[in-house]
Amino acid sequence: MSYEVFVALRYLATSRKRAHVALISTISVLGLAVGVAALIISLALLSGFQDRIRAQMALRSPHLVVFPARGDRLADAGAVREILARAPGVIAADPVVEGRGWLCDATGRAVSPARYRNVAEGPLRLSGDGIPPARLSGAAAARLGVEKGSLVRILSSRTRLSPVGPIPVAVLLRVAEIRRGSALEKPPDVEVPEEIARLLAGIPAGAQAYEARLADPQKADAAARSVAAALPAGYRVRTWRELNAPLSFALRLEKAVIFATVALVIVVAALNVVSNIALLVVEKKRDLGVLLSLGALPGSLAKIYLTLGGLIGGIGTALGVVFGVGASVLLDRLHVVPLPADVYLFSHVPFAVHPREVVLIAVFALATAVGAAVLPARAAARIAPGEAIRLSR
Amino acid sequence: MLAVKAEHLSKTYAGEGAPVTVFSDLSFELEEGVLTAIMGPSGVGKSTLLHLLGGIDHPDTGRVEVFGQALEELAPRERARFRNDRIGFVFQFHHLLPEFTAEENVAFPHRIAGVPAGQARRRAAELLDRVGLSERRAHRPRALSGGEQQRVAIARALARGPGLLLADEPTGNLDVDSAGAVFGLLEELHRERGMTTILVTHNPELASRCDTIYAMSREGISPAAGSSGRE
Repeated sequence: MSYEVFVALRYLATSRKRAHVALISTISVLGLAVGVAALIISLALLSGFQDRIRAQMALRSPHLVVFPARGDRLADAGAVREILARAPGVIAADPVVEGRGWLCDATGRAVSPARYRNVAEGPLRLSGDGIPPARLSGAAAARLGVEKGSLVRILSSRTRLSPVGPIPVAVLLRVAEIRRGSALEKPPDVEVPEEIARLLAGIPAGAQAYEARLADPQKADAAARSVAAALPAGYRVRTWRELNAPLSFALRLEKAVIFATVALVIVVAALNVVSNIALLVVEKKRDLGVLLSLGALPGSLAKIYLTLGGLIGGIGTALGVVFGVGASVLLDRLHVVPLPADVYLFSHVPFAVHPREVVLIAVFALATAVGAAVLPARAAARIAPGEAIRLSR
Repeated sequence: MLAVKAEHLSKTYAGEGAPVTVFSDLSFELEEGVLTAIMGPSGVGKSTLLHLLGGIDHPDTGRVEVFGQALEELAPRERARFRNDRIGFVFQFHHLLPEFTAEENVAFPHRIAGVPAGQARRRAAELLDRVGLSERRAHRPRALSGGEQQRVAIARALARGPGLLLADEPTGNLDVDSAGAVFGLLEELHRERGMTTILVTHNPELASRCDTIYAMSREGISPAAGSSGRE
């Protein structure tokens, strides 16, 4: 242990014997601890919500999508399917066939423009009467005033020739499901079996895109790289993160803003550290002069006070981490803050402690405390030994 | 060979009102191995002279050489190193660091020089033994008497085996018996180690035991009557 650290440790250990220094040291340590704990709890709260939002994102979005770089159809859908099937972690790959048309109820009175596509997730059960099933979005069902079991008709923008001239391709569907969407997704107005989608879009073979689901959505980037490397030119591969980039950015921005705002508590606590260290510099001026007379370098005196700042920061940060992490874990496990389950996706306010964030907060608090000690440490380094000793007589 | 050579020193402090000139154009030389007392009334700059000779203060004008080395020519790092290796200070009020034990205080010059802690403490313990305080090495300054504190301060000053010992009224704060004992110790160590020792004192009896005596006044510094010192 260098003598600078030795002196700093002793100063800190003996400061509790001097009431005024002890009080300010305690305030400095507690201030940092409160700041660190507040930041950990705030981010844990935010992470709790955001983790669930991200989980929903991963659940409701295709993990990989292969698009044509130009045009609206894949040049070789079969090859894309083969490559996706061979890609690491891919558990399912399905074509995308979609288009636009009009949706109307059985009477034909309520008509609404609609986006249709083949069923994205989960099979649709056929009704006993042979009418193809459809899954309507909640919004589309509300616009048409239909419910589960109702008949709807979808008319494609594509036409076919009939004895009376060109007429739109139309299919009668029975509403098998109404999909309650969330703010996190924008589902098509109507999902239909693949063969109906192909009929409506006029795409008997091939696909406009291919979607794949992965066993582990977190490995989407690696899988995307592998697929992109295997595909010839003329295709684009996007992951679920890229598809939800605006929302992900909003979540990150929200966290950054909360961090910056709550971190101000740590900055304010660091001002206490400045006054604490400055007081110690003034109080120990004579001793610093003596150390210089013994051959100490001015930089070593600065190091003593920077170490003190680090020690105060370290103790405050450690206390804050223990309290913040402990409180977050307990709040989450004991479901301390309930939420109305019919309004939210979950029954209690979730808290999630991310070790990386805790490390970031700890490093920030420590760096702020050491940074706060820089000014008084520089003052210590500027002390003239002769003057310090002369004035202390 | 000269241990100390100071030429045309002047020093002025910025006082609360007008600047205070402590001395100007002061010159002083001292041979190696001499035990010297500097006497003079308060305020003539005896302590300031010691600070300048020890390199813990800078003269406004003039030049100080210690063992042939001009202090002003040394970079701050070299100057600190020189002070650590070659110069020892004893102050009137001992100026021991109150948070540290006697042994830790004496070990400081070694720690500053980069000697490992264990070795530094062993050497400090030996020195404390030499000044008769081996039983008190774990005591903090507050638990020591004035004489003991000053003996610890002497041990600290001698820790690195300096060639020049500067003692600023080392007995000024002690009773007669303690002052005699501390001065006796200084004298003994001076002879034993062959150092050059300059001590400031107001005590004519103690000064008379030194090899030379210098008298300092507003006019300058000169060998006292009957002293064999060189100006």
